Amino acid sequence: MSLLKYESQLREPLVDGNKNYHQITEDIIRPIEMKPSRLWYIGFFISIALLLFGVYSVYREVTYGIGQWNVNKTIGWGWDITNFVWWIGIGHAGTLISAILLLFRQGWRTGVNRAAEAMTIFAVMCAGQFPIWHMGRVWMAFFVLPYPNSRGPLWVNFNSPLLWDVFAVSTYFTVSLLFWYSGLIPDLATVRDRAKTKFRKMFYGIASFGWTGSTKHWQRHESLALVLAGLSTPLVLSVHTIVSFDFATSIVPGWHTTIFPPYFVAGAIFSGFAMVQTLLIIVRKVLHLQEYITVGHIEAMNKIIVLTGSIVACAYLTELFIAWYGQNPYEWYAFKENRANLFSPYGWSYYLMMFCNVLSPQLFWSSKLRRNITVTFFMSIIVNIGMWFERFVIIVTSVYRDYLPSSWSTYYSPSIWELGFYLGTFGLFFTCFFLFAKYFPVIAVAEIKAVLKTSGENYKVKMTDLEKADAEKFYIDEVAHAH
Amino acid sequence: MSNKKYWQSFGELNQTASFEESTKNEFKEELLPLADLDDKGILDAQTPRRDFLKYLGFSTAAAALAASCETPIRKAVPYLNRPDNIIPGVPNYYASTYINGGDAISVVVKQRDGRPIKIEGNELSTITNGGTNAQAQASVLDLYDNTRLRYPMQKDGSGFKEVTGFDAFDNMVGAAIAGKAVALLTSTVNSPSTLAIIEEFKVKYPTGRHIQYDAISYSGMIQANEACYGKKAIPSYHFDNAKVIVSLGADFLGTWISPTEFSNQYSKNRKISGEQPELSKHFQFESTMSLTGSNADDRYTHKPSETGAVAVAILNALNGAAASFSDTKLNEGIRLAATNLKSAAGNALVVCGSNDVNIQIVINAINEAIGANGKTINWAIRSNYKKGIDGDMVTLINDMNSGAIGAVLIHDVNPVYSYSDSKKFKDALAKVVSVSFNGTMDETTELCKYILPSHHWLESWGDAEPKTGYYSLLQPTINPLFKTRAWQTSLIKWSSAAGSMVNDYETYFKTYWNAKLGSTDLYNKALQDGVIEPSAILPITAGTFSNSKLTEAITAAASVQSGAVEIILYQKISIGNGSQANNPWLQELPDPITKVTWDNYAMISPAMALSLLNLDVMNQERGKQSDYEVHPEKPVIKITVNGKSVQLPVIVIPGMNAATIALAVGYGRESASKETTADNIGKSANGAGKNVYPLVSFNGTNSYSSVATVEKTDTKYPLAQTQVHGFTESRPVIYETNLKSFVANPESVLEEITKEKIAITIGGSKDFVKDATIYPDYDKPGIKWGMSIDLNTCTGCSACVVACTAENNVSVVGKMQVQRAHEMHWLRIDRYFTGDLENPDVVFQPMLCQHCDNAPCENVCPVAATNHSSEGLNQMTYNRCIGTRYCANNCPYKVRRFNWLDYTGADSFADNQNPMVGTYMDASVMQMNDDLTRMVLNPDVTVRSRGVIEKCSFCVQRLQETKLEAKKQQDPKLVRNVKVACMQACPTNAISFGNVNDKQSDIYKIRNVEQTHRAFYVMEQLHVLPNVSYLAKVRNTERHIGVEEETNAAV
Repeated sequence: MSLLKYESQLREPLVDGNKNYHQITEDIIRPIEMKPSRLWYIGFFISIALLLFGVYSVYREVTYGIGQWNVNKTIGWGWDITNFVWWIGIGHAGTLISAILLLFRQGWRTGVNRAAEAMTIFAVMCAGQFPIWHMGRVWMAFFVLPYPNSRGPLWVNFNSPLLWDVFAVSTYFTVSLLFWYSGLIPDLATVRDRAKTKFRKMFYGIASFGWTGSTKHWQRHESLALVLAGLSTPLVLSVHTIVSFDFATSIVPGWHTTIFPPYFVAGAIFSGFAMVQTLLIIVRKVLHLQEYITVGHIEAMNKIIVLTGSIVACAYLTELFIAWYGQNPYEWYAFKENRANLFSPYGWSYYLMMFCNVLSPQLFWSSKLRRNITVTFFMSIIVNIGMWFERFVIIVTSVYRDYLPSSWSTYYSPSIWELGFYLGTFGLFFTCFFLFAKYFPVIAVAEIKAVLKTSGENYKVKMTDLEKADAEKFYIDEVAHAH
Repeated sequence: MSNKKYWQSFGELNQTASFEESTKNEFKEELLPLADLDDKGILDAQTPRRDFLKYLGFSTAAAALAASCETPIRKAVPYLNRPDNIIPGVPNYYASTYINGGDAISVVVKQRDGRPIKIEGNELSTITNGGTNAQAQASVLDLYDNTRLRYPMQKDGSGFKEVTGFDAFDNMVGAAIAGKAVALLTSTVNSPSTLAIIEEFKVKYPTGRHIQYDAISYSGMIQANEACYGKKAIPSYHFDNAKVIVSLGADFLGTWISPTEFSNQYSKNRKISGEQPELSKHFQFESTMSLTGSNADDRYTHKPSETGAVAVAILNALNGAAASFSDTKLNEGIRLAATNLKSAAGNALVVCGSNDVNIQIVINAINEAIGANGKTINWAIRSNYKKGIDGDMVTLINDMNSGAIGAVLIHDVNPVYSYSDSKKFKDALAKVVSVSFNGTMDETTELCKYILPSHHWLESWGDAEPKTGYYSLLQPTINPLFKTRAWQTSLIKWSSAAGSMVNDYETYFKTYWNAKLGSTDLYNKALQDGVIEPSAILPITAGTFSNSKLTEAITAAASVQSGAVEIILYQKISIGNGSQANNPWLQELPDPITKVTWDNYAMISPAMALSLLNLDVMNQERGKQSDYEVHPEKPVIKITVNGKSVQLPVIVIPGMNAATIALAVGYGRESASKETTADNIGKSANGAGKNVYPLVSFNGTNSYSSVATVEKTDTKYPLAQTQVHGFTESRPVIYETNLKSFVANPESVLEEITKEKIAITIGGSKDFVKDATIYPDYDKPGIKWGMSIDLNTCTGCSACVVACTAENNVSVVGKMQVQRAHEMHWLRIDRYFTGDLENPDVVFQPMLCQHCDNAPCENVCPVAATNHSSEGLNQMTYNRCIGTRYCANNCPYKVRRFNWLDYTGADSFADNQNPMVGTYMDASVMQMNDDLTRMVLNPDVTVRSRGVIEKCSFCVQRLQETKLEAKKQQDPKLVRNVKVACMQACPTNAISFGNVNDKQSDIYKIRNVEQTHRAFYVMEQLHVLPNVSYLAKVRNTERHIGVEEETNAAV
């Protein structure tokens, strides 16, 4: 009888714990219906506090001026744009998971895509703060929008990469939001259906747009997911490419580098996955979702980290080599003296970046370390620090000593209000994430059910029972009865 | 092809008139039915269907505007009766004279709507030829200084109370000084009419006397001249006649006697071209790195106490004796200098900055020996800038103490601050009746019993005779702002007999000059010109030299003090002797050598930094130099001289003598009570630096150098520098060569860049502009503005920087913001060191927006706030700018300036300056924002608000004005008259500006005819195509000059 029971040993299951559909719904939706834990409150209030500090920092900056920051005549962009690129980069993992992995039919994405997409949206929200609030006259920010106006020939400058950013980031945000939300609709409907209070019913009722789960709905939902995936896929590549143009199309030595687009994209995915790891390792623990976000998921993402980390490493070395080979004295100086010279003022940041982004991910060639939650968590932090420093190294160490030596800058470190702005975006991010974790299903319930090997697992149990059963009885009970 | 015609109607076939009419009107649009609007009311008007959207848009916009956009209401009150000579918006120019403690520069004052707003040099003066200096440029701001005293006052307890009415004051003071021996204590007076008044005053008070006191004195020189030539004066110098110049610590391009005049003369022999491949040869022997030393061809350093010995050695070397200093470089320098001096056949000049009588006697002997007397030294015309004799002051103080002097009238001096033994003077002052005519409540005035503030020079009538026979007149350009009175009027009133006809200075002045010139017409002409000069240039006359004191002097001068460390006190080109310390433009003007603003400090050599502070600026490997370079906090040292000590932060400057510490005077202004300093002396002077005048010692004359002990402290103090890295890193920023190489092959200086340019063009073409890019080249017809700056004649004096600040309403940002590298200067002087670290060559490079034709800033702005004009200007549209700062990042010259805070009070948000004061902004910024000070703003230039980028506009307001004038006169040639502010201020005419498409313009000739071998652009390889060209520097030296010798170090 054992012939009836074939089981592939190659793939581990995407969901552990022999779940059935109901159990999944229970596991994922129940936290939404319960009072939040003490831990949630603590985390949420810390986030709110950070957010308020950020709001105050920005308030000061807008009201009194950027003179409170330490950016200067030489270093026009410092922590502000570093943070912008860093947050934008973090967003990329979400889009990659939801779009590209969907197109590649990677079943494992279902366990992590909802949270990753939420992370994308929040990260882009955080990123967007920087280019907006770092403007000297943010109240005139609408000048960057090409809307019909009465200013005659004075319009936006389509030559400027900053303008491309406006389009790239806003498109990215819109598409990501749509993608995330359309995925949420069936799950929100589930929450609605289970809701017991009037307010809940109303809230989730409105939020789920009258989803009934009809075949027609599902068909449209699936098509929409595919279309959006198709739209998002080029965005994964284009957004960070365009962000990299802010630097690549300039003439600042160290910025003006043709390798930037692929290098930035790889770096973005690298840092994005690290951030997903950081978040999900916490989420699975706090919300007891270890059976949905399995070690298998973590390992899969670690594989991507080691891949993209190696691409980034390759880019670093290529960049360094080309700086030397290209024989442009300014560029070579930027690399040799501003960065690779450990004793130069910012030498330490270059080596910190190299350590975090090039050396440390190599640990993940070992499958044992890949599957170790503690190591992964620690590594995810290291990679995020490293990627922050990558942007810092690119932006600050290039421009602080660029062409004219008379204008070389003094040492730049952020003022309390620059730091406050950055911390504030952490506050924004985690405030959003805590609210999301409390009020929305953090795992795509509908999608994960699709990858559940329920039938397989149930079949196995049934077969074991059958094998044990008496054949005679089986015949009488099942077969004869059927007739 | 068929020639057949197809027609649609008979009309078309026959081309009838009615047909043509109808085709013309085929798509005729309905005009707005305005005719219907007459009195039927707007509601009845027809609205064509097609125009519905237009109307909708218009009415929405109009409603939105009316409802929400509040336009601030500013009331402008027009003249009820317009004065004849004031047309609102059209400036008037009046010739006048900048005077400040003996300094006198003929100027033209630009007056807009009754307010003087800008000082320009007077080109009719043959002394300055239109040149100015930083202090003269900045002095217009002093007029609007809020700390100026507003009315006469008398001491009342610990404070002062107003004296209402000048008559009451006259009666009171008249009674107080009656019968007393009255001393007039003034700065050097070179006004002939004032001197006449003083003589009359002395008649009335025969027991009194007039003492002239100079904070930085030239007493040693005057006394030496008395000993050698029998004349208690300073002769006039002719640097323009000198082919060889040897200066022993005389900063004649920066602060010595009459730097504007000397810079102008000096530059005449520093211009070099293919036709005139000659340069004067300038040797400098000095202890500190002065502005003049940094311009020298060959420069040698020694301890300050060795100055006399060096002078003696030069004198001996003229007779062939070799110098015997332990420093062999110095010996060689003395030999070289002597050889050059001898061979110049009188076309040579030796000057010395020492205030020691004996040293100056030796200098006189040298000038005698080389035949300079009568060739470059003119005793027929004296320099009247400084007349103070140090001994007189000592006698005065003794007499005040003994009661021999019963009253002191003080004008334009501040001895309580600047006298070395300030306490002694203070005690003496308390014993006499004291009257101050000073304009502000300075350290001396606040101790006086009576105060009658005199006018600012811009409010005054007056005259000056800076050189014998060369007069420069003052005329008021504004009514006195406050209840002040010319101090001469007081003297007249207090000395004239009752019922005298003349009892004010204005009348006296007019009578004096009318009588002197012979007619009212000539007087008016003189006022209009501002200068009266001899019609024929008098021949240069030698003085009769007596060497009776020489042997004695040589012995005294040759003695060298022993001591490991010596200090030398010097004046900065910005703050000078400290009288203008409350001028924020001058405080924020970076010192050309150290690039420090708002402070004084101890300048030390890299060697002393290493031995004293273990600070190795040469050592790049250990990160030490980086720390020093990139952090504004500098170590503080304690310097003790004769028991008096001062703690100051260090600045390491290559080229400082290893045993010398240089300290600048003029800082550390402080009222008797520290709390009142900001109110009495001013917000800008308050807290800026330390006073080092107490370190002056008296030894027959004031000595500005002494042996000192120095120790390090554990503290650090931030210095606000605008440039921290002093080396070009072998980048194509500066080109220089020596005279020999240039004469041998003029092309050699730019050979490298020429080759490189060809190498990076497509197909090795010689047309770098067109062929080094894949983008098309566009014609640039019409006017194309361009500038050329001659690095050979630019001395770094920074007059242009202040001129630019004044012309373009450039904000003052205060020390805290400069320290964060947030300064706003549109034009700065970059300073680079090259060569030997112990004694480097220095190059100054005025750096401003290069107005690139292929500007990298323009294409990165998301809102097109910066763009290119058809005349080649890189324009900045402030009200379009949203402040992304991308342009500033992408500017290779880093000339774009961002308004980081609300420096001007022009912000969109009300009152957000005060909350920043103390934490991010200095009170000095607020000083620029009170209603009085804002009167200095140029109404032709927008005051920028917070959050926008700004930069040099090539003084576009002046360009427009000149073009308009040319249009009105129908004469395009008039465009050649354009003068931008920096160019006008320059005492050496280093800056040329004009239309490069005009083949008759100076700029065209410089670039394409006269200076083709020297004209280069900074970092031209970037192909940003700048519109500012520089002329390579040529030094008259045997040494190899060039970037490859450069050493890297942080300075």
